[in-house]
Amino acid sequence: MIAQPDNSRLKTELIIAGMIAFFMLVVMPILNAQGIISNFTINLWGKYLSYALLAISVDLLWGYTGLLSLGQALFFTLGGYMHGMYLMRMIGDLGQYQQPIPDFLVFLGWTELPNFWKPFSSFPFAFGMVLLVPGIVAGIFGFFAFRSRIKGVYFSILTQALTYAAAIMFFRNNLLLGGNNGFTDFKFILGFDILSATTQRWLYIATGVTLLGVYALCRWLSKTKFGLVQRAIRDGENRVLFSGYAAADYKLFVFVLSAMIASVAGALYVPQVGIINPGEMVPAKSLEAVVWVAVGGRGTLVGPIIGAIFINVLKSWAARAFPDLWLFLLGGLFILVVIFLPGGLVSLPERLRPVWAKIRSWFPSRAVAVTAPADSDSNPTKLN
Amino acid sequence: MKIIHTHRWLVIYALLLWGGNSVGAATSREVIAEAMLASNDREKIAIIDTLAGLGDADLAALLAAWKRDELFVFSDTNGSKTPVLIPGGQDAFDTAVPQTILGQVILVDGSGEVVVPTRDTMDRVRHNNRLRRAMKRVLDLMDLGSEAAGKRLQAVQTIGFSRDLDNLPVLEARLAIEENGQVHQALRQAIALVQLNHAEPVVRLAAVKELGKIHSLSSTDALTSILADATKAGDQALVAAATSALREVEEHRSVVDFVGTIFRGLSLGSILLVVALGLAITFGLMGVINMAHGEMIAVGAYTTYLVQNIFGAGIVIPAFGLSIGIPGMNLEGWGYELYFVAAVPASFLMAALVGIALERGIIQFLYRRPLESLLATWGVSLVLQQVFKLMFGANNVQVSSPSYLSGNWTVADIVFGWNRVFVIGFAILIVFGVWLALNKTSLGLLIRAVMQNRSMAGFMGVRTARVNMLTFGLGSGLAGLAGAFLSQIGNVGPSLGQAYIVDSFMVVVVGGVGNIAGTVISAFGIGGIDQVLQQYLPVWAPGLGWVPFFGGFLQNLAQDSSVFGKILVLAFIILFLQWRPAGIFARKGRQLDE
Amino acid sequence: MSHPILNVEDVSKSYDGFKAISDLNFYLFEGELRTVIGPNGAGKSTFFDLITGRAKPDMGRIQFFEDDLTQLNEYEINRLGIGRKFQAPSVYRNHTVWENLLLSLSGTRGVFAALFHRLSSDQRDRIDELLKLIRLDEKRDLHAEQLSHGEKQWLEIGMLLASDPKVLLIDEPAAGMTDEETHRTGELLLSLAGKHSLVVVEHDMTFVKQIAQDTGVTVLHQGSVLFEGKFDEVQANPQVREVYLGRGKHEP
Repeated sequence: MIAQPDNSRLKTELIIAGMIAFFMLVVMPILNAQGIISNFTINLWGKYLSYALLAISVDLLWGYTGLLSLGQALFFTLGGYMHGMYLMRMIGDLGQYQQPIPDFLVFLGWTELPNFWKPFSSFPFAFGMVLLVPGIVAGIFGFFAFRSRIKGVYFSILTQALTYAAAIMFFRNNLLLGGNNGFTDFKFILGFDILSATTQRWLYIATGVTLLGVYALCRWLSKTKFGLVQRAIRDGENRVLFSGYAAADYKLFVFVLSAMIASVAGALYVPQVGIINPGEMVPAKSLEAVVWVAVGGRGTLVGPIIGAIFINVLKSWAARAFPDLWLFLLGGLFILVVIFLPGGLVSLPERLRPVWAKIRSWFPSRAVAVTAPADSDSNPTKLN
Repeated sequence: MKIIHTHRWLVIYALLLWGGNSVGAATSREVIAEAMLASNDREKIAIIDTLAGLGDADLAALLAAWKRDELFVFSDTNGSKTPVLIPGGQDAFDTAVPQTILGQVILVDGSGEVVVPTRDTMDRVRHNNRLRRAMKRVLDLMDLGSEAAGKRLQAVQTIGFSRDLDNLPVLEARLAIEENGQVHQALRQAIALVQLNHAEPVVRLAAVKELGKIHSLSSTDALTSILADATKAGDQALVAAATSALREVEEHRSVVDFVGTIFRGLSLGSILLVVALGLAITFGLMGVINMAHGEMIAVGAYTTYLVQNIFGAGIVIPAFGLSIGIPGMNLEGWGYELYFVAAVPASFLMAALVGIALERGIIQFLYRRPLESLLATWGVSLVLQQVFKLMFGANNVQVSSPSYLSGNWTVADIVFGWNRVFVIGFAILIVFGVWLALNKTSLGLLIRAVMQNRSMAGFMGVRTARVNMLTFGLGSGLAGLAGAFLSQIGNVGPSLGQAYIVDSFMVVVVGGVGNIAGTVISAFGIGGIDQVLQQYLPVWAPGLGWVPFFGGFLQNLAQDSSVFGKILVLAFIILFLQWRPAGIFARKGRQLDE
Repeated sequence: MSHPILNVEDVSKSYDGFKAISDLNFYLFEGELRTVIGPNGAGKSTFFDLITGRAKPDMGRIQFFEDDLTQLNEYEINRLGIGRKFQAPSVYRNHTVWENLLLSLSGTRGVFAALFHRLSSDQRDRIDELLKLIRLDEKRDLHAEQLSHGEKQWLEIGMLLASDPKVLLIDEPAAGMTDEETHRTGELLLSLAGKHSLVVVEHDMTFVKQIAQDTGVTVLHQGSVLFEGKFDEVQANPQVREVYLGRGKHEP
């Protein structure tokens, strides 16, 4: 711990986070096992939590390092595919064609498994690939991008193009990853029936625990000297360079780490929704995740989590209540937040504090001087 | 026999010389009636043969009826014979009404009663294989005399590929008088192809040489099989001729492929250019990342659709529970087809207006926050896409191409589609227009001043807010033009813009921000490389097997040359930016960004 | 004096056809304080850009001890011991004063070192010392953006010193300061000379007079050295007067 100890705010955040984590990870599963909370709800929240993970990966880049990546959907989907390959192998010969290889391969005329599919029968291998493949993709892309000092909107545009290129590739059958149908009809995970309530409950818990772990990791990271450099790059990359830091190395590290987090999120998402296809990979999905972060509050760690859950709850509700209009709601909300609330929902209390103070000042006896304590991690309005 | 032959040639010459449908007294109806009455098959064939090259609307129908066994000869009590048509044939005798072939009237007997066909009075006109072949040849040759060059061309090609020696004289006769260069060329090819079947080795040899000389692309298979036969037969001269002819054809094919690739590259480059030009202004000059640029393109395309409907039957647009009816002008023919001329400025204006509204409503608050302008405009793009869906439906709408944009020219086997030629010309015009607007107008001067230094221009009394608004309007209007344009090339639907947004940004980034000339070069460069890869990857890809571990995978992928090509283009772009991080024409000036 | 530590020889650099630097020769010795003056557009900032690796010269040699600076990039040059202060104060706005200095302390700069970095008591003492030197001890926990313009300038100088460089390149340190702050800045720079080599670019002649009384002044004009000498000599030189005051046409 390098940074100056950051007062009571952090302590409050940690206590609240602990309480929420306890409720989500212990109480909810127990209530589910008792039948008080439906399987549907647990499943839905499992999905939200993997979205929250994705949102953190966006924020680690955007909020903390000033790199707006529109490639996070790619890494999320890659993770999903790597895990999906394992799940496809676990179907065994229970598919439509009753062959020992996945149905779509039978359909394409394959009689035995292509070589690169073979190791995916092993869960540890697939899990390794979940981390490795997006890590390598991000590593190669990031190496070139950061080496030539591509930043700001250029970085966004190029990551968007990368995602787009990958998506059109995954849509092809020739890639031997299921074409536009992707993977679905999973049956087993680690020997358990993937559709059973118990398995789904454990997947939910695994997602929650991962989220908690990633939250803790990022908390720790932001307090190290690394975290200081990271935010220094965001605020003034030139000064960082002229202070002797190879900014590109730091950016590459964050980019790869964030790609891996997004990938893990995707790997957790797939068994809970039961399908993965290239539709998840389009640039618009990356932007959607950016929206969660923007709405929740970037440059903070709770912001992305709140944003991802808030928008998705809103979406589930609005898409049912006003199917024709919910995109207006989402788009409109987004425009409003960007223009009027750049700090996102988490900055709302602070924004409202002057209003609250004014209300209090109408009652002189209870008036209290209000000074806004600065948040050490963030000042999103000043990002470029 | 000889007489008949002479007769046949007379008809053909008459036909070919006058090119008309009816030749003197002998309409196809009359000839067929004559053939039906002929006493034996040989005579029938001879008579039908006289129809060769005759284009007559009745011919196909009558011959078809013949083949369906619907032609009969009616013998009345006097023994006089009348050729008739009975729809449905023998099975329909109870209900059908016989019609005379010549007069096309209902067949009546002496007392004016409608004749009821019976097996005794109606003698079915039979047909055998040879007769049917003759009919087919006549049908094939029918379009040879057509006035439309396109029809003649098709007929020549069909005849050529049938490689029936019987057709040779007809083709040669037509060749002597054909004036259309394309058809002339096709005739030479057809004749040579037919001659490949000739019994005389000398003729075959000459035909092979001819095919090589005229670079007949479609003769590859025929030449290959001739070569195989000649090798087997040990005919050295023919082997040599066929080999060299094949080589000439292949050389020509590679030229055609190459020129075609260049042309497609140019036209794709033009599309990219037109699509990216608006972005080069809003992003390049103003620094605004407009993710709704694609939707501005869609606004243009939908405006074209609207204008088309206004010129046509009108349209009713459901919008937020209301129905807005727009009456149409119910124009037809050329009047209707001129809709596109009106749609071009309308698309520009409509998109410019939407753009100005966007700038005033949202973007003006975000000039200092480019990443946030990216996000807010993405929100706008979501909203606009939904608006399109509600107003025009989630499916593609039908935008018809006016006839002046839907044909093509074929020059030396290379197809130049008019719409693509138009695209290239239009792109040149727009670039010129933008150049004029930026460099030769007072607004252009103001735009450049504001874009170079907003605050300084402000101090100098320039109304920067107004200039920003107009600049953004100009950029959006150009996107609208692109939309009008794309409506002629691809589908118009709510997600039209999404398909182009990534490409447009790539073009601007590679071109160098704030530089129109860079955008032009980059658009044509990317378009060209993309088309070259699409054309040649299938040729090169099999050579990728050496790549360790991924070799087979790459070979496999390269079959999807369009997809793999796109990915390679992206890789090139990233590598290119290593070399020139700020694009082709970087502003080299020293800038203190802190 | 011995050999110069920084050799800039026959260096030229042009932007879009405009020659910002042409055939520049410049030598800096250990412990020297050199002031660089020149009218606007004389190429002072480009000169710094070339030394610090932000721009590469079209031709010429830039050597620092044994190293060829034209082959290195910004952070490599910084690690050799060349620190630069920008004209507009460049500090980390959202970091505290204390964190700004911490980030600038000399030491390893690698990613993994940063992840597991722990502050030694020596380093703490060094930060405290610097805080006193730049008079920001009281404001150590304030965010840098809350400082006044002059304080930011001081903080940036403090950050430079924290990395303990051999050469400090300082661009207009007195800009935006009150007279008193300017004077104190001058004293600070004078006290640094000897321990470090300094190159100071400045416009403010009062300030130049203060720091360059006994040290060398280089006058840049149109990208090359017009004159080098003591402050008084510079003041007396007719060529310099002509360039600054624009009397008469420039004679070749």
